[in-house]
This record gives sequence, structure tokens and C-alpha cells, in this order.
Amino acid sequence: MSLAAEAFVSQIAAAEPWPEKATLYQPLKEDQILLSDSASSLAVQTFLRMCGLPVQVSCCANAEYMSPSGKVPFIHVGNQVVSELGPIVQFIKAKGHSLSDGLDDVQRAEMKAYMELVNNMLLTAELYIQWCDDYTATEISRPRYSSPYSWPLNHILAYQKQWEVRRKMNAIGWSGKNLEQVYEDVSQCCQALSQRLGTQPYFFNKQPTELDALVFGHLFTILTTQLTNDELAEKVKSYTNLLSFCHRIEQTYFKEHDRESQSGSSRHSKGSLP
Amino acid sequence: MAEPMELLCWGGDWDLPSVHTDSLIVLAYAKFSGAKLAVKSIDWTWRTITASVPQLHYEASTVTEPTQILNFLRKQRFNADYELTAKQGADTMAYIALLEEKLRPALLHTFWVDADNYANLTRPWFTSHSPFPLNFFVPGRQASLALSRILLTKAESPLLNITEVEGKIYSEAKECLNLLSHRLGNFHFFFGDTPTSLDAFVFGHIAPLIKAPLPSGQLQKHLNQLDNLCQFCNTILKNYFNASAEKRTDCSPTAIHDPVDANLQKLTQLVNKESNLIEKMDDNLRSSPQHRPHRH
Repeated sequence: MSLAAEAFVSQIAAAEPWPEKATLYQPLKEDQILLSDSASSLAVQTFLRMCGLPVQVSCCANAEYMSPSGKVPFIHVGNQVVSELGPIVQFIKAKGHSLSDGLDDVQRAEMKAYMELVNNMLLTAELYIQWCDDYTATEISRPRYSSPYSWPLNHILAYQKQWEVRRKMNAIGWSGKNLEQVYEDVSQCCQALSQRLGTQPYFFNKQPTELDALVFGHLFTILTTQLTNDELAEKVKSYTNLLSFCHRIEQTYFKEHDRESQSGSSRHSKGSLP
Repeated sequence: MAEPMELLCWGGDWDLPSVHTDSLIVLAYAKFSGAKLAVKSIDWTWRTITASVPQLHYEASTVTEPTQILNFLRKQRFNADYELTAKQGADTMAYIALLEEKLRPALLHTFWVDADNYANLTRPWFTSHSPFPLNFFVPGRQASLALSRILLTKAESPLLNITEVEGKIYSEAKECLNLLSHRLGNFHFFFGDTPTSLDAFVFGHIAPLIKAPLPSGQLQKHLNQLDNLCQFCNTILKNYFNASAEKRTDCSPTAIHDPVDANLQKLTQLVNKESNLIEKMDDNLRSSPQHRPHRH
């Protein structure tokens, strides 16, 4: 959204309280959603739970096309539609709920830097593995992405999406990497996160922030999703404090609520965390 | 070592050893870690279009990309990050990611996409530093690469129009610069008194922005108000590159302490004010008959 539109949205947002019927849209959970979208969606759901804001999750085959920015997930609140974690955090801040108010400027700089690290490395690696690795793309990504559609639309859409992602990888210089290097990058990213987390319960000590939601979303999805091989999950599992971090957030924010909204029961998943 | 390591990079100008961000990062890191590099500039050679710069040659191997080159130098035991704690190493990775995501698109835009700057500064410089007939191709190719990178990473699919994205990338870049300034505070370098790889990355990104004589540079103006970052850049140039860099008048070394915080707060307020101003504009918009009046 342009700057003017963003400012406009926050003006409107500030005027109304959080409604009962806020909805979060994502692609179909069982058949269609892919690893990267599932991770982003879980991050947003976690963030909303941390703020104590109720939201219903609605799965639609065309969620990606409904979204204003073309990316999922997006939330429909009152008469506004906001997509992606960054704008959603700002939108919710305009409504008066914020998790990062207690941070000082240096900590806020660190938090933003770590969020960019997760987006830059983990999300890009997930996209690479899904779409640039031929085996995964053929076995998992293309069939799943196009499952709601009939022939020939399913082929066209799947290949279009693959071409789009590969173009992006090319532009940022990831197309020259092979799978081993990508796994190595994921491992380094997890190492950085693990060292930053240390023995604390959350990244900024006692209170969870949007960084915790984002990291949880990605790591939990990686751990509970079955790809063609387990190497990605193994990389994450080797950091025990990240595992216990995920357990803790799952226990605190997801087990208390209804069983249906538990995020662990998604496709190909092995249920809750091992 | 039998033979020194050879680095290929773009040449220097405007008081800098190189005008290219990635080359600057490697050059700065080499100085910080004490690695001796034989620097070969690719200006006026065919390598301007064939090589991916910067490129490090050592014995038989070739390494490209700043992160790979820095890893290679570390393996050769030229390590400027030796004294960092594990957490500081993690912070380094995070801040580098922040620079790449938030600052680099705006830098690419300032130098390669902004019509004024491109026509008056960037293209003439690169044209004059490339051999005939490459001088017709090199700047254009870099410009289209820069534009496609910005659009593919920052533009959301319905928009795909550079003007829509401009506002967003500049405001993100200004926020990024403010964050870096907050983090640097009153210190000479980001982690204490000795420079590390993070300092090299930050230097590589902001030095061209400070030093280049840009005709239209709103980002440059913003950066010039962040005294501690200007000071940081000039310190590195003076101590490590022996450049007789005339200190710019608005980056005086004496008054660092209080004015830094005051300036920084002013700047954070400026960025907020920008969005407030836009909100005020929208106030008028909202009271126009096309929009439904909202109950408060």
C-alpha cells in the first residue's frame, strides 16, 4: 500500500474497536497451502493470540487472489482488509494493542533486524526449497498449489507461480545456490536465533513480541510439515532452545483454546511437536 | 603466503576507494582484518561486463559475493570478528539482513532508477569508466537489473509500478538509517572500539550515499543529518584508507554527544511527521463528499 493509503487505514482503524467477527483468510489447509504460506499464516495467528484478539480462520481456495497485496494471510476486520504481518502489526498498533511498546529504541532496532533476518533467510529458503528444487516442486508444490482447479488451469497457474518465484530468486541472487547451501543458510539463521534467544523464555525477556510470533510461525511449520526429506526439520531440531521455545508458545497460546483451531493439525503434519 | 590475494573491483572516486557498495564492503573488511589484497580495478577493461564484481582470486580459486569473500578471508585466518560474542555474531547477521532488505532497494533506486541522478551522475561515471563499445551497454544493464530487483522484491503484484513503490522504499530506508543510528549511539564502531564485519557492511552501504555528489538525494539529506553515521564513515576513511577526506561541514567531530540524541529524535519525529502530514491531507480527503463521514 502507498504511504497515503497506509495513513488513511490507520486513521480509520483507530476509530473502531476490534469486532467480534474478524476473519483471517488463508488457502485450504488440507490440500492447498504450502510451507511458506502456512508459516506466515501461523505467525499472524500467533501474534493475534498474543494480543488477545479473537479471529476466525477461514480457508478459501482463492485467498491469494482476494488479498490486496497478493500475499497470504490477510485479515478482514470491520471494513478493512490488511495483509502480511508487517502491515497487520501496524494496523493493530493503530487500534491500541501493541506488544513492543515496552522496548527502547535500541531493542526495537534489534527486533526489526531479527525480523528481517527471518524474512530474508528463512522465508526465502522456504520459497527456494518449494519452488526452485525440481523434485519438491514436482512432487509437492505444484500439485498442492493447483489442487482446487481443473485442467488446464491447474497447470497454467502452477507453472506461472513457479516462474514468478524463480524470477525473484534470480533477482536477489539465490538462483546460483544449490540445495546444500540453502540448508547451510537455514542452519546459520537458526544458530543466530538460538544464540539471541539464549536461555530466556522469549526474545525480549519476559514479554513476547511480534518477533516471537514470526519465529514461532516459521519454526513450528518447518518442524511439523513433511517435505520430500527431513533435512530442513533436522536443521532446526539441532537447536534445543528453539525447540523448547516452540513448545512453550504452543502450550501457552494454542493448547488453551479449542482443539479445532490448533495449528498443528495441518496437512502432511505429524500432529504436534515431537 | 606465496602470492597475495587479488581483488577485482570497480574503481574509486569522490574520496572513496570504490564507488561500488559490494566492493567497498570487501575492501573495508580487508583493511579491518589486516588482509593484504592486490586491488585491481576493472575500469576500462572488458571485465566491466563479463565479471561479477567483487571477485577474489587466490591461487586457483575464485570467490564472488561479499558474504562468500568474507567467509573465505575468515578461513584464511583474517578474522575481524574474532572478539565478538555469540550474541554479537547473531546481531551481525540480523543487521546485515536489515540492510539488505530495507536500505539496498532505496540505494539502488537513488543511484540507478531516479532519473535525475542516473542521467547526471551514475550513467556518465560508469560510461566514462568502461571501454568502448561497452560504455553503451554497461550502465543500461545495471540500471535494468536494479529496477527489476526493486520491483520483484518490493512491488506487490497488482502494483508493479515503480512510482507506487518509491514512497514505501524511501520511508523504509529512512527508518533503517534511524535504527542504525540508534544502535551506533556514541560509539566509534558498532561493537566497541574495533571495527568488525558489520561495520564493513554499513560502511559499504552508506559511504557512496554520503560522498556521491547526487543532484537529487532526499535519502542523502536524511543521512547527512545523522551525525554519528557521517562521523563513522569519515573515521573509517581517515584511519583505514588514508584519504584526506575533508570533513563535511555538517559532520563536525567535536559535538557528538548531546546533539546526536537530539538530532536522532528530531529525525524520528520527521519520519513520523511525514506520515502525519499525509494523514492531514487525508483529513481533507475524508471530508469530501465522496467519502462517507465516520462516527468517532
